[in-house]
Amino acid sequence: MAEARQVAGSWMTVEEALAEIAKDQVFFDESGGGVTLSGGEPLMQAAFVEALLDACHERRIHVAIDTCGHVPREKLQRISRKADLFLFDLKLIDSALHKRYTGASNELILSNLQFLAREQKSIIVRVPLVPGVTDSRDNLEGIRNLLLRMGLRRVDLLPYHEIGVGKYPKLQMGYRLHGLKPPPSEEVQGIFQQLSEDGFAVRIGG
Amino acid sequence: MNDRVAKLRQESLDLKPWLSVERAALMTEFYKSSTDISAPIRRARALQYLMEHKTIYIGDGELIVGERGPLPKATPTFPELCCHSMEDLEVLDTREKISYSVDGEARRVQREIIPYWRGRSIRDMIFEEMSEEWKAAYEAGIYTEFMEQRAPGHTVLGDIIYRKGLLDLKGDIERSLGGLDLLNDPEAYRKQQELRAMAIAADAVIRFAERYAEKAGELAEQENDAARREELREIAKVCRRVPAHAPKSFREALQAYWFVHLGVVTELNTWDSFCPGRLDQHLAPFYKKDIAAGTLTREMARELLQCFWVKFNNQPAPPKVGVTAAESGTYTDFANINNGGMMADGSDGVNDVTYLILDVIDEMRLLQPSSNLQLSKKNPDNFLKRGLEIVRKGWGQPSIFNADMVVEELLRQGKSIEDARCGGTSGCVETGAFGKEAYILTGYFNLPKVLEITLNNGVDPRSGKKIGIETGDPRKFASYDELFAAFRRQLRHFVDIKVRGNNIIERLYAEYMPAPFLSLLVDDCIAKGKDYNDGGPRYNSTYIMAVAPGTCTDSLSAIKFHVFEKNHLTMDELLRALGTNFKDAEKVRLLLWNKTPKFGNDDDYADDILKSVFDLFYDEVSGRKNTKGGTYRVNYLSTTCHVYFGSVTGATPDGRKAWEPHSDGISPAQGADRKGPTAVIKSAAKLDHARTGGTLLNQKFTPKLLEGQEGIDSLAHLVRSYFKLDGHHIQFNVVTAATLREAQAHPEQHRDLIVRVAGYSDYFCDLTKALQDEIIARTEQQSFAL
Repeated sequence: MAEARQVAGSWMTVEEALAEIAKDQVFFDESGGGVTLSGGEPLMQAAFVEALLDACHERRIHVAIDTCGHVPREKLQRISRKADLFLFDLKLIDSALHKRYTGASNELILSNLQFLAREQKSIIVRVPLVPGVTDSRDNLEGIRNLLLRMGLRRVDLLPYHEIGVGKYPKLQMGYRLHGLKPPPSEEVQGIFQQLSEDGFAVRIGG
Repeated sequence: MNDRVAKLRQESLDLKPWLSVERAALMTEFYKSSTDISAPIRRARALQYLMEHKTIYIGDGELIVGERGPLPKATPTFPELCCHSMEDLEVLDTREKISYSVDGEARRVQREIIPYWRGRSIRDMIFEEMSEEWKAAYEAGIYTEFMEQRAPGHTVLGDIIYRKGLLDLKGDIERSLGGLDLLNDPEAYRKQQELRAMAIAADAVIRFAERYAEKAGELAEQENDAARREELREIAKVCRRVPAHAPKSFREALQAYWFVHLGVVTELNTWDSFCPGRLDQHLAPFYKKDIAAGTLTREMARELLQCFWVKFNNQPAPPKVGVTAAESGTYTDFANINNGGMMADGSDGVNDVTYLILDVIDEMRLLQPSSNLQLSKKNPDNFLKRGLEIVRKGWGQPSIFNADMVVEELLRQGKSIEDARCGGTSGCVETGAFGKEAYILTGYFNLPKVLEITLNNGVDPRSGKKIGIETGDPRKFASYDELFAAFRRQLRHFVDIKVRGNNIIERLYAEYMPAPFLSLLVDDCIAKGKDYNDGGPRYNSTYIMAVAPGTCTDSLSAIKFHVFEKNHLTMDELLRALGTNFKDAEKVRLLLWNKTPKFGNDDDYADDILKSVFDLFYDEVSGRKNTKGGTYRVNYLSTTCHVYFGSVTGATPDGRKAWEPHSDGISPAQGADRKGPTAVIKSAAKLDHARTGGTLLNQKFTPKLLEGQEGIDSLAHLVRSYFKLDGHHIQFNVVTAATLREAQAHPEQHRDLIVRVAGYSDYFCDLTKALQDEIIARTEQQSFAL
């Protein structure tokens, strides 16, 4: 009762999730916004996502899918026919580094992104800026060249932050980036500037 | 702003409010020597005496002239309404907040006049006339009484003075007098006295302006600086024309309003001061004409408006003491400038002057006057967003009203469509037909306190006195409905007591304290030959303001949910926990606090209870007849009264501890809303705003949340969404570092505080201490001291 122990999240049916989403319909209508299915990785529950997408579309609610891209093509394909927008994470262009930091190589991710780009889906590529990991000149140039080739023009830069630090002890987990500081804002601005000059529509955060 | 304005503004900021007894001394002199037979004539001659003898002040560099007191920030008193005791003066002089300096001379004069006013002041008369049960409920903090220290005002000027000078209005009075039928109309003599009083009052204010013209002329003669000499001559010229004649220029329009304003607030200490209302619309024709003629530039207009703004800031609210100080503890006197909205024909009312005024609000950053946007769906987003840029700076102005809803509220009350469109909001959030309505607020009403008394079968546990009726021992109630029925009977009992009191107080003002000058300005007082305080206006509304629907709803919800549905605890256990202020019952308190469906989360369980509380108050108050041919109405605002009402209310079933503040306006209880601003807006919109005369919703944000064009756009969407759902008003409290520190120390009270963290937002209380510190540091750089 004192809420010393907190429950995060709850089990919901599609109908229940839709009822919760529909409460905000007036705000979607007014702002042109909609709902973002995020995670974890939403495509881990592709069947649920698909059903919720259908339900939202019946009400003309715009749906964005926030994905890391590391999902079987078949699932992505099914969802991609319906989703209005993808928020697609792109962390590291070098596959070996990608494997080192995330535990998985990036071939499937890049090929999925290529697939969505060919299908002409609306995509915002989201690039986390983790100092010493993703913010190297090589990595950012690699990402830039790839996106130019694919014809993708919308990029969100997500500077590393320490907001999650407090959650780890609550979950009795160790935090492995202790001491890492967010990138200085001049650095973020520099990257923003460069990408903008290259013709990208860039936002910081998002 | 230019040097002139910067200097005048700084002087106004630097001066501390002080009590002036000049008016009190003159008023006492006049009353002692007056032998007039009728009250209206006596009041008009009193105004004439004041206007003839009060000090004339023209400050160095001023372009718009006139002060209510002998100097800026000198605050007159109104002994005929409330003659302060020597102890009152001591309190005013020394209290920590909202003090007024009182010098030795003021004390000497006050000591002399006190004996004369004993038993004669309206305050004495009210307390003499009120019943024992009225006093018991008043002392228990069930309601407050607005008229015990200040006169009814609660109105706003329409466009009359821009069309007619006071001399023209005297012509209207002559015509009305000519039409009196002394043969057949038993009211004819009364009307004649009132109309003659109005004519005297018009002369009084014309004379006041003349004295300013004379003073400006004298100063011009002595002035060595050629430019200032010219300015003083111009002032003299303007003061000779207005308000006797209708203004012909932008400048004359501002000066005409200001003299009329001073007339109203010198005649009586009307609540909410007085207000030009739709200033942008009134000034627009003058602005356009002068610009076209080349006699005015935008910069000159800006400077004149800024000088005008300083004038408002020079007039602190009349000093209040006791409960009245507690319910409205501020120097602000609530003149609230309306911007935008619509024209009489329903078209978009935003014009060039609107944007100029918004610039002035932004630049002047003064406590007074207050300002608001009347936002219609027809107004351009540019207007809203320009306003939000000022909101974002975090000093609380302007607030934002739904102009379409204001019109709907007025239409529902029976106003004509034109009168409704020319209306707006004043004071805090009160809807009125400008220039045509007396919409008198008579007192705040403590909803949770009435519930507390219901739970104690008519007894106030704070005093142990039985002040209510016996509605049954709640332990024996078999259902929530039985409890709610008891609450209804208890509430009706107290509303009856309040209305009985009001019916006397309304007559006291009608009989002894008419306001002939104010009556001149409000349609249809001249045509009817009736005073503003006696049903002269076209529309006459009497309001009782519900306080703390949030706390009341959550408390009812807790009882329904935990006692009658889930059987988490018995009524007896609940009442014992409340009776001891949760001593040894912290577990019960946490259950109530954390596990009750609460208002503000878009949860129909709680929001349906809110609707039932709304309907209950509406049914018991709205539609009752007042003594002036009008009706009672409800609105929902609390100013600072939720703190006072909380301080007299014991622990409540929502888990609120004894004597803590209640929820404010229609906002959720502090910390009860945990699902973000969109959920608050959805919940607040479930209340039927159309059946009120105003509601007040506060939202808190940090500056970071509103950064950039995206911040403004998001806020604009939020406002438009709330208004689409028929919300009446919303205001944004952009919080400062001080608030954040307070939230850090008392997280329970600030569960609803949202902060912009990085690319996203979060509840402040959910952040780690280190991150909170970081945000405080960041916010501090963005905040500023007023």
